[in-house]
Amino acid sequence: MTEEGETSAPRRFARAREHIAFVRALVQRQPKTFAIAVGGAFVYALCTVASAIVIRWVIDNVIVPRFRDGDVATSTLVAGCTLIIGVGVLRAASVVVRRSFAGITQWRIAESLTNDVIDRLVTQPATWHQRQSDGRLVARGGVDVDTTVGVMAPIPFATGTVLLIVVAGVWLVLTDLVLGLVAVAVFPVLMVLNVVYQKMVDRHFDAAQQALGDFSGAVHESFEGVQLVKAYGAEERETKRLTEIASRIRDARVRAVYVRGTFEALLEVIPSATNIGIVVLGAHRIDGGHLTIGELSSFIFMFTVLVFPLRLIGYALSELPHSGAGYRRVQGTIDDPLEPDPAAAVVVAPSGAAVVLEQVTYRFADATGPTIEDASATIPEGTVTAFVGATGAGKTTLVELMSGLVGPTTGRIALADGERAIVFQEAFLFGGTVRDNVQVGLPMNDDEVWEALRLAAADQFVRELPDRLDTVVGERGVTLSGGQRQRVALARALARHPRLLFLDDTTSALDPATELQVLDNLRTALGESTVVMVASRPSTIALADDVLFVQQGRITAHGAHDDLLRDVPAYREIVEAFETDRSAPFDASGAHAAGGGT
Amino acid sequence: MTDTVVGEPSGPYSATTAIGRGLEEAPVLRQGLGVTWLLAAVGAGGRVVVPVLIQQAIDNGMDIDATGSERVRMGFIVGCALVAMGALAIAAVCQRTAVVRLGTRSEQALSDLRTRLIEHIHRISLADHNDERRGALVARVTSDIETLSNFFRWGGLAWLIDGTLMVIVASVMLAYNWFLALIAIGISIPLFFVLRLVQRHLVTAYDRARRRNGDMLASISELVTGAETIRAYGAGGMFAARAKGAVRQRADAQIRGNMIGAFLFPLGEVFSVITIAAIVTAGVLIGPAGGLTSGALVGFIFLTYRYLEPIAEFTEVLDQTQTAVSGLRRVLGVLDMPVGPPAPQQPQHLPPGRVSIDIDDVTFSYRSRADRALADDALFESAVLERVSAFIPAGQQVAVVGATGSGKTTLGRLIARFADPITGQIRVGGVPLSQIDNTELRRRLVVVAQEPFLFDDTVAENIRFARPEATRAEIERIVDLLDVRDWLDGLTDGLDTSVGERGESLSAGERQLVALLRAGVADPDVLVLDEATSSVDALTEVRISRALTHLAEGRTSIAIAHRLSTAARADRVLVLHEGRLVEDGHHDELIGAGGTYARLYDAWLSATSAS
Repeated sequence: MTEEGETSAPRRFARAREHIAFVRALVQRQPKTFAIAVGGAFVYALCTVASAIVIRWVIDNVIVPRFRDGDVATSTLVAGCTLIIGVGVLRAASVVVRRSFAGITQWRIAESLTNDVIDRLVTQPATWHQRQSDGRLVARGGVDVDTTVGVMAPIPFATGTVLLIVVAGVWLVLTDLVLGLVAVAVFPVLMVLNVVYQKMVDRHFDAAQQALGDFSGAVHESFEGVQLVKAYGAEERETKRLTEIASRIRDARVRAVYVRGTFEALLEVIPSATNIGIVVLGAHRIDGGHLTIGELSSFIFMFTVLVFPLRLIGYALSELPHSGAGYRRVQGTIDDPLEPDPAAAVVVAPSGAAVVLEQVTYRFADATGPTIEDASATIPEGTVTAFVGATGAGKTTLVELMSGLVGPTTGRIALADGERAIVFQEAFLFGGTVRDNVQVGLPMNDDEVWEALRLAAADQFVRELPDRLDTVVGERGVTLSGGQRQRVALARALARHPRLLFLDDTTSALDPATELQVLDNLRTALGESTVVMVASRPSTIALADDVLFVQQGRITAHGAHDDLLRDVPAYREIVEAFETDRSAPFDASGAHAAGGGT
Repeated sequence: MTDTVVGEPSGPYSATTAIGRGLEEAPVLRQGLGVTWLLAAVGAGGRVVVPVLIQQAIDNGMDIDATGSERVRMGFIVGCALVAMGALAIAAVCQRTAVVRLGTRSEQALSDLRTRLIEHIHRISLADHNDERRGALVARVTSDIETLSNFFRWGGLAWLIDGTLMVIVASVMLAYNWFLALIAIGISIPLFFVLRLVQRHLVTAYDRARRRNGDMLASISELVTGAETIRAYGAGGMFAARAKGAVRQRADAQIRGNMIGAFLFPLGEVFSVITIAAIVTAGVLIGPAGGLTSGALVGFIFLTYRYLEPIAEFTEVLDQTQTAVSGLRRVLGVLDMPVGPPAPQQPQHLPPGRVSIDIDDVTFSYRSRADRALADDALFESAVLERVSAFIPAGQQVAVVGATGSGKTTLGRLIARFADPITGQIRVGGVPLSQIDNTELRRRLVVVAQEPFLFDDTVAENIRFARPEATRAEIERIVDLLDVRDWLDGLTDGLDTSVGERGESLSAGERQLVALLRAGVADPDVLVLDEATSSVDALTEVRISRALTHLAEGRTSIAIAHRLSTAARADRVLVLHEGRLVEDGHHDELIGAGGTYARLYDAWLSATSAS
């Protein structure tokens, strides 16, 4: 034996142990239904052997006597037929039981795994989410779970098949030693062949699947950029590029076809050839008086019905690594340690202050430098404060820190007690009605919902929606424009009458006139509340009592807008840039003016 | 669902015409189909070898006399076995060849079909490309073709083999004894219908499961994309409960489908044993008098399984076929979508050098809701242009302004020939747009879109998209020409910086810069610029307008302007209002005139200034 062989055997054992552990962990989630399914498979195995025995009995005691002796007792005939149908029906019933319960096992396990993932998704803090790819997280609860439980469908049958092979083998050998040994020798050959087949064909199918994934991505990208493709007359070039990727799918599949053709033919031929051998050998044994015609036929019958279960074992074995990999991915998400809730670290601010930052530094997990460095500030209660700075200066991170969504790496954050609400730059609407989206679980009557919508200047367009408050929005409902979504999200925040409201460039998607109206509503409605907002329009900034000027992660100036304009050149520069060329899309505001003017 | 929007024709294709048209689109499939079928039939014949051998061995190889002693003619049996082995070998080779032939041809055909689809989709009108439809179009090229591929992998072969196999088995049975054969065939007929019935329920159940699966994924996806909002509103418990409800419904639907499926396979089993019992009873009752032999009766038992197998398989294949045909219908529906502006019959060349643009009495309206996707705001109103005329001399820099829905974006798209006017004509360099060869037009006239699209590649490759043969030195030259070297040097890998999916690693303004460089490399004579409305930080803004000024130099340029500064800088401003050209002149003139433009300007000024 080579050294390589010696090292690979333990490794194979380790992998087998891993598979067993993984299957056991799954079964533990649904042990009862799994046991019933396996029980059904066992009954099936026993019935299969029984049906071979019945065939033998009928041939030897009904058919052969009738044609040899010319007569057979009616009771024997009735008994034979009853046995055939009885065993057959029992066998069929066992399949129903096994498959139903295997299904229940499979999908209930999937349910419990997905629920575990869901629990993680809602308890892990926002920072954990920020580090993960959205698509992958969704896959954990969906595709990965489905792959994991995929193996649960064939496992009861495969277990039953193992029993079937043992019982059938024993029975064959007991019936006729010579013939039995020949037949039993073929089982492992078929099994190995099936496993090898699955492995080989899987490699190509996996390659095809991979190519299909690449292809889908490329096609999606190309269609998304179709205007660009057209603008540069690049249609032919793109078609050629995509066709090349598509040809990888074809090539992998064609390779699989060759493997399939060969193995399917082999798997068809080997049992048939064995049967032919059994006929010859069996005839010889009959000649010697060791065997009856019925016994010979039942051998062949046994072989015919065993072909399918043997295939399934190959399938189940080849499915194990896929499922195992899926399970590891799911488990990785479920077992990822819970990170502390940053909101818990927030302390209560001294009276009179809405927000206090004390030497706050924040650094992304994989970033080289800090995003926020040594930020200290006090925002008094009842004021409107604006964060102003260039893109990427750290304004959004500051708002996330202050709202308790993200915890500081060092430093301390104190907030005034009471209801807090935040509206993000990208409004997020849930699949549901407008009302659901404003309430988000908070009980309130329609008047309150409408009042919140009015303050957010959203009442008018909601009134024009087909079902008003009951209009379904989001992915599967009515498509709202960016500005409309923002206003619904804002209404969601205002409905809570927050004592502290954070707006992350929320109103920039609105046209300037609507923005002013909304900010005006905020002023009157919120009264004593504190508003902290990221602002980028001069008109918005001018509304603030206080401005915090942010440059490269540091708060470099704090004061009234006019004072900063006068005293801080960098601030003046950026605001002037806003003013001279900063776009409020001027057709949007123009729509009002021009509409009134003509 | 969006899937019904695209390529679900209102019924021009029955199953047979769809298949006919499909074969036309993929001629590879038809090549040598007869030979493949013949090979498959011979291969299927291999399945009756063993039952026939048993019958022969029992009837002619063994003499069973009344005393019960059995004399076996080994020579005969060995001879038969050798023949059987030979037949089996031939059948196996034929089967393999048939599988390989069908497999390679179908994959080739599907590959060709993918190419045809992509080619066509790139050519259909921009109006048919929008966010809602994109997923559906991608599905046509991927998942619908996959249903066809699945079909060929299993169903296609079954169609070739199953019928033939049943005919072969039935013939052997008929040859043994016509009465018993009729019993077997008679019993199989109700099996077929029962199986169909169960199948139909199964399909409905799995459809439901698929929908529930979609709901489940949507609610999980909400937990992920809405993570921040959910936390900000402390709504984790509520959303988890909501998602778990969807998960439970999905599991229930799957289990239900599974239950129905659990009855399918055993049905064949039950019918098999009933058939065998019936045949044995009838065989025993007839006895040797009817010419029946014990070997034939035993052979019948085996043949019964061989006969019923394909029925069970075939009922499954019928549904797979339905799925494949509806996939094919959707694919054909896309191939039937009209392509964008038609290619000219006799393409004309543009004169060399700078060219003028003559907008001559152009009227345009969006014919259908789909077309309206082109308009600024597709939601409620359709934008139209009414008898717009303007002559733009070569080298002039024009800004088109107007309120939302005024038709300015539409005008830009007509000049770029993404659509043709209903009446009137646009001429470039004196040649009607519809007469210009597309390749030449795209080389001479370039559009920079509002939200420029970037491929998930490097900055350099995205720039090179305009002209794949452009050298590095040429790109560098354009970088200097547009004066954006300082920005480029600030990127981690300069020109080799990856822009990420849709260019998301860059800011909106930086994506614009890449788009301008791309236009620069194309070196067009006409530049159509659809200005962005999105917010851009001040420094990038300065770079963009600097790059734009350099890019527009010496070219005829039309900016669909959303910004005051662009209009103020232009040689000439065209003001559109409700689809009509209402004002035409320089910024200063128009301000002085106190018309629509002046009002737009006032509104903008008061909204954006701090004082």
